[in-house]
Amino acid sequence: MPPGLDKLQHIVVLMMENRSFDHMLGSLKAVNSQIDGLDANSFTNPDSNGNAVKAQPNAQFQAQLQPDPDHHFPAVDLQIFGGDTSAARQPNMQGFVKSYFNQQRDVAHSQMIMYYFPQAKLPVLTTLALEFAVFNRWFASIPGPTICNRAFAHYGTSFGRVDLNPIYPPETIKSVYTRMISANPKRTAKVYYYDTTSSTMEVANLLQNQPELFGTYSQFLDDCKNGDLPDYSFIEPNYNDHQGDSGEEVANDQHPDHNVQAGEVFMASIYQAIKNNPELWESTALLITYDEHGGIFDHVPPPTCPKDIFTADGNATGTGVPFQFDRLGVRVPTILVSPWIPKGATVDRVFDHASIPATVTKFFIGDWSPRSPRETSADIFIEPQGGAVDPARNVLSLGTMRTDCPDFDV
Amino acid sequence: MALIHVPKPPKSAYDPNRPMSSLLQSQVDHLQEAESKLPLEYCSKIYSKAIRTEGEAAQYIRDVTEAIHRAHRDAGKARSVRKPSKRKGVIEIAAYADERSRRRQKPAPKRAAKKSPKSTGAKKRKE
Repeated sequence: MPPGLDKLQHIVVLMMENRSFDHMLGSLKAVNSQIDGLDANSFTNPDSNGNAVKAQPNAQFQAQLQPDPDHHFPAVDLQIFGGDTSAARQPNMQGFVKSYFNQQRDVAHSQMIMYYFPQAKLPVLTTLALEFAVFNRWFASIPGPTICNRAFAHYGTSFGRVDLNPIYPPETIKSVYTRMISANPKRTAKVYYYDTTSSTMEVANLLQNQPELFGTYSQFLDDCKNGDLPDYSFIEPNYNDHQGDSGEEVANDQHPDHNVQAGEVFMASIYQAIKNNPELWESTALLITYDEHGGIFDHVPPPTCPKDIFTADGNATGTGVPFQFDRLGVRVPTILVSPWIPKGATVDRVFDHASIPATVTKFFIGDWSPRSPRETSADIFIEPQGGAVDPARNVLSLGTMRTDCPDFDV
Repeated sequence: MALIHVPKPPKSAYDPNRPMSSLLQSQVDHLQEAESKLPLEYCSKIYSKAIRTEGEAAQYIRDVTEAIHRAHRDAGKARSVRKPSKRKGVIEIAAYADERSRRRQKPAPKRAAKKSPKSTGAKKRKE
């Protein structure tokens, strides 16, 4: 058993908001050619006049992507298929500028959807990406908005939903948290939201029915310090600007038009909270991901996937065409952090947010039924303990723990 | 490795008057639906349909989230108050055991010939 897996006791997942892989990590191909980012001046999208708009490193922290780029199902359909609605269509990732143009009818402004961040502007995310493992093929679970994509992280399915309406799961498919606390032997799990003013996006089921599952970000910091972290933790960022106990709390979810730097500070604080406890650092894997791409460009076409047992009809999708949850959403930045991961690692297998409950269930519980077909077919990002471990699949592959991992001044 | 500096956002990043996004709108809607199921004493005094800005949404989100937690806590407290005391049960069982033991040792008293108003008409026991 590789020591990184043998010692692993905690999995922590942080899910940020609405930024695509190329937008945040595209610049890193120039530093590590194994990261499937952007070649200079190579990826373009046509604007509404038919001119080719290049991807450029001109992204700003705030006040640029206004209005919020459309990321509901019909808009994402246009972004992925470029406006092709034929039955035999293939994804070409040529509709981002056209989609953004639809919101303000401003040609110059629509081109800003093709901007990405240069490495220097994102010291935390890019450092973690270069130091640990980047997933080159982690996609949003569906080509649509936040609530349904987050549902895949909690339940392995969105129960047929592709919109922002509340989801009331049937009794049959349990959340990963319920599985953990119902398992024999019992495991522990918690959802840490930022505070009660930011709260959770999982209101309809988890907050209403199991509020005891929730803790706050400040409790997460204490739990890390005191060695009380549960087996599985899911962290939600601050979704709104508000007055907190210690003054102004700036939203740090990075959802446009919230300040991206605030999200960098948040990510660094979570990383340091784990790293500053040596026992936790050697026994924890931290996954940082984003719920969906937020309408922002990416060059990698999302693949098809096995269907779910649910279908969204043509009215629900807003396109007139039903959706059988058989295609993933746009690629999102996803990084796995652990001192057992070699520097500069990349993973090219396909994942989506259903991989989160799939991995956590397999690692801590083993077999569990019933689960959605999307979850049972999703790949896992941490190999289970016990039994033979395929070295080609194990990301926590080092024989000796690293001592050269970065620190951030938060 | 050297300590990596993480710049903080400027003060201008904070804007509670920012119009709320569709995501925040959906969160408010979900909480409004949850609030409609709470007893009146837990409900906020904010009309959710009038919320327009992030700051307004934040206030409502906090009120309802805390109300949900409070309602569950109150229900938990009420549940623990209703539970019978285990200690009382033990004393009752012990008292019953003593009484049974005492009855076995003492001969049963002769029943009176007259029927009492409460008599069921059962046959007299033979001594």
